[in-house]
Amino acid sequence: MTDTHNGDTQWPRYMVLHQEQDDKPHQHAGTVHAPDVEMALLNARDVFVRRPDCVSLWVVRADLIFTRTQEELTLHPDWLESIQTTGDTIETYYVFAKQTQKGQFSHLGEVEAENPPHALKMALQKYSDIEGLAWWVFPVKAVLKSTPDDIAAMFAPAAVKDFRDQANFHALSVLRKLMRKQEVGE
Amino acid sequence: MNPELKQALVDYLLAMADDELILGHRNSEWCGHAPILEEDIAFANIALDEIGHAIVWYELAADVLGEERDTYANRKVYFRDAHEYQNAQMVELPKGDWAFTMLRQYLFDQFEMVRLEKLTQSSYAPLAEAAAKIRTEEMYHPRHTQAWVRRLGLGTDESHRRMQTALDELWPYALALFEASTRETLLIQAGYIPDTSILKATWLERVTIYLQETGLTMPTNVVALSRTHHTEHLAALLSDLQQIARLDAHARW
Amino acid sequence: MYGATVEPIEDIRTDEEKLAEFEARIARGEKIEPGDWMPDEYRRQLIRMISQHAHSEVVGMLPEGAFITRAPNLRRKLILLAKVQDEAGHGQYLYHAAETLGATREEMLEALLSGKAKYSSIFNYPTLSWADMGAIGWLVDGAAILNQTMLAKCSYGPYARAMVRICAEENFHRRQGQDIVITLAMGTPEQKAMMQNSINRWWWPTLMMFGPHDTDSPNSAVLIRWGIKTKTNDELRQTFVDQTAPELMALGLTIPDPELRYDETNGHWHFGEINWDEFWNVVKGNGPCNAERMATRRQAHEDGLWVREAMVAYAEKYQQ
Repeated sequence: MTDTHNGDTQWPRYMVLHQEQDDKPHQHAGTVHAPDVEMALLNARDVFVRRPDCVSLWVVRADLIFTRTQEELTLHPDWLESIQTTGDTIETYYVFAKQTQKGQFSHLGEVEAENPPHALKMALQKYSDIEGLAWWVFPVKAVLKSTPDDIAAMFAPAAVKDFRDQANFHALSVLRKLMRKQEVGE
Repeated sequence: MNPELKQALVDYLLAMADDELILGHRNSEWCGHAPILEEDIAFANIALDEIGHAIVWYELAADVLGEERDTYANRKVYFRDAHEYQNAQMVELPKGDWAFTMLRQYLFDQFEMVRLEKLTQSSYAPLAEAAAKIRTEEMYHPRHTQAWVRRLGLGTDESHRRMQTALDELWPYALALFEASTRETLLIQAGYIPDTSILKATWLERVTIYLQETGLTMPTNVVALSRTHHTEHLAALLSDLQQIARLDAHARW
Repeated sequence: MYGATVEPIEDIRTDEEKLAEFEARIARGEKIEPGDWMPDEYRRQLIRMISQHAHSEVVGMLPEGAFITRAPNLRRKLILLAKVQDEAGHGQYLYHAAETLGATREEMLEALLSGKAKYSSIFNYPTLSWADMGAIGWLVDGAAILNQTMLAKCSYGPYARAMVRICAEENFHRRQGQDIVITLAMGTPEQKAMMQNSINRWWWPTLMMFGPHDTDSPNSAVLIRWGIKTKTNDELRQTFVDQTAPELMALGLTIPDPELRYDETNGHWHFGEINWDEFWNVVKGNGPCNAERMATRRQAHEDGLWVREAMVAYAEKYQQ
């Protein structure tokens, strides 16, 4: 289950999705290594909310994310058509896409599907007006989320740590003043 | 506030501040040496919180005395010797292994949560307000330490053995967290602080149930150590902590 | 995970076609994402660079970490602890970027701890005084930011995104370093002497951080062609000196380079030649602290093994 290498384990990887404000979509922040999903959520908080810009966090095992890039899809349009429904149970998948070159993966919505490739096919149909440079789909039930009750304890404390804020250091203005003085002196 | 009550309050605040400072200091020693990168980050957050809370308590003591906050806090931290510090021995013990560190943090977090719950009802409004603010930040700590304690207690034979050793070693020190100083009576009568013996009962019940669930055996026949003594570890810790500040007490750093 | 149920996508283009399309994409400023075709050499160079960069962050925690317990006032203590914590975070983001290329953190750490992988030589120099916290923040982080700002525009999406995140935080690091340097340089004579001594020790190793001359840098050309780097080692080094030298001098600090002077003909600061023997010696593992840094990392890794195993054991027993 867990990757090991020469007897070491760094634990499985979990994808971290991070929401900055209530009216913004969840975006990919990075990954954390964690022994289980509950610890992954705690680690995600510590790794990605050291500064106060978070209202919600989701974590999902990285190997549960099904992904295709635009290049893969364009090169092989027939791959998509080859995806068959198999009569499996339908479940809900989250759809994330990267829409600009410099952009981040962000949450578009949900689709109902039988399996991950099927979910991607449904997503491409549902969001056909969107140019996705790369796509992710993963089952909703695999995601562990923070709750609104967690905001106070998990996210708000970062705001107290204003010593991280570079605006609180006045070194540059002191320096510029010194340099101006020297120029005038010369 | 009469002078005696004022002094009792300042002592109480300093003891709380010293506990948090020294524990935060010990925790900060893990930064760069933790068992996994994620925990270098997570545990540094806990250390930052503890040191931050120490500052809140030092500054509140400064307010009580009408002193300048920042100057007072730094003077207390950097220019008192070991015998003047009022922290419990538990927090000054060397960081030990990860089991010892996590269990100490867990026992202390639970102690703090119980105490902060009551302090939010203090009749001394600034204390109640500070406690409420700190409590919000502290709520995350038990979540983190409980998750760890359970997993290490129930993980492998080795982790279980290390946790049990840590518990046996820490328990007498943990009980000493609840030793009340004689002057606390004044503060309890004034409604400023809760009665420590009530805190202890709540804490004892919570941690006993939880630790037993994680497969640990509670130590018996333990005599609580005294809060008024220090181990030799404190002087060593302070000589490290204070060495640069004391190069020149009047310089700005 | 779904590899077994999904037909892998077969690429029918020839290698020449793939490479031409890949280079065309980079020329158009597109970002390469995991899953896209890329030359093996591109993948190899990225894994090498990113993991080396991640290792540098992790080893880089040690020289400053030693001063967390000794920071001279409470605010500096919080700042330094938060900064070293950020470095762990940066290492974490970077390992993630390398993981998207198929390297596992287990493999990368093993490469570091066995001495196979490199990390930035700067962290093999010792920290001797509080002033070094200022010098590292201003010089070392300042140099790193120039490199990182460039890499935030690199052609590999996950690396570029990790860098964007890192750059935002790294500015705090540089700023707190400047704050320490300015405070000491304008402080008592003893403090100023302490600061000067620190600059004397860190100036040259910082210039070495940018790497060998372009003519001696075997990877530079391909890294630039594939949009991983957009500036050469020498260009970045010159930018650093142009930026930093006049600022330090404005504070009354001396830079330990008798050749340093402003060249009005080209608008740049001329500086002396780096001691390349020292550079290669430290790269080869013979720097003042190489052995000590690795011993410390190995110790932490080994001490943590039972912890990592116990957490996995719990997950297997109670959660699956």
